[in-house]
Amino acid sequence: MKRDVLERILWSLSVDRFSKEKFKENAEKYLSRFPLDQADVDMILNFDVKKMQEVGVNPMLTMGYWIEMSPDKDMATYNQKLGSLSGLSASIKG
Amino acid sequence: MAEIVGGLLVPHDPIMFVAPDGPEKSIAEKVWGAYEVCAQKIVDMDASTVIIIGNDHYMLFGTTCLPKYCIATGYVEGPLDQLPGLKKVPVNNHEELARFIASEGSQAGFDWAEARSFTTDHSFSIPYTLIVQRAEEISGRTIKAIPVYLASAVDPYIGKERSRQLGVQIREAVNRFDSDDKVAVIGSGGISHWVGTKDSGQINPDFDKRIIELCCSMDYEQLVAYTDEQVLEEAGNGAMEIRNFICAMAAVNAESGSLIEYQPVPEWVTGLGFIEL
Repeated sequence: MKRDVLERILWSLSVDRFSKEKFKENAEKYLSRFPLDQADVDMILNFDVKKMQEVGVNPMLTMGYWIEMSPDKDMATYNQKLGSLSGLSASIKG
Repeated sequence: MAEIVGGLLVPHDPIMFVAPDGPEKSIAEKVWGAYEVCAQKIVDMDASTVIIIGNDHYMLFGTTCLPKYCIATGYVEGPLDQLPGLKKVPVNNHEELARFIASEGSQAGFDWAEARSFTTDHSFSIPYTLIVQRAEEISGRTIKAIPVYLASAVDPYIGKERSRQLGVQIREAVNRFDSDDKVAVIGSGGISHWVGTKDSGQINPDFDKRIIELCCSMDYEQLVAYTDEQVLEEAGNGAMEIRNFICAMAAVNAESGSLIEYQPVPEWVTGLGFIEL
């Protein structure tokens, strides 16, 4: 199930140092070992957390992925990507 | 024999630690003060051990192995997710009682996942730090703690009725444990809160007050009757943690509960309820 693969990737990128390093070195190469189509790869590379949630990925994981790996890690940007106007977030990293 | 002497339902909101100045000072003081009240209640109960019922947030179990319920029976430290004022420390686990609960469970149809070593997350460590360790400071006594983790945030979720049954099993095991331990049980969880979703920051005080009323009246039937779809719609993914409340309530088996404090705090993205059982 696609959701399970996506959650495995996002979890690895949230907690596993080796995965984070490989992703930062070459994200497309890192993702190539998973059974993903190009739309899935684009969703991850573009930090499209809204689409991820729409395919069933748990919001706690999209938030963790955003906090750990996104370029600006700003929760206001995360909320904007979700279509929220809220300035408040449940991020434990502010 | 050991006995259960009381319990508490409390939140485990990490935002309090990273953004302590988020809400108005008077509101923040009420919430921090409620933890202090809870610590004093643990002292007043003369508890020697506290079982804290929390849940993983994807940090501990990931998606590779998802126990419906887990008990730490050996070395414990935490939290994994350290925060300002919440640093990783060893936890004085009551290993013998934890193993007894798991062993008794296996005889009664409850196949516990057992963690022979365990790192907690904030769902255990916030009440452990603010209530159990604080109670140790106040009383000058050593108080042990046992982590119990339910599948309340990561699906597949434990059923609410199963959470209640598990609480009963915990109570029955404690009552058969050959010691003079006085055991308190803490259900650790927020009420309405949306975590990582576009609705994060919303709170539903009406839902929170209904849950508080049901907890104070020990109305398991109504609590269990809430479908997951209702909870998600009305109170967000974080409110699935009411399972932790149900389990603790069943373990304590009090005649009623009493509200210590309730604050809906958007800046801390959670309806925060404190109840004594």
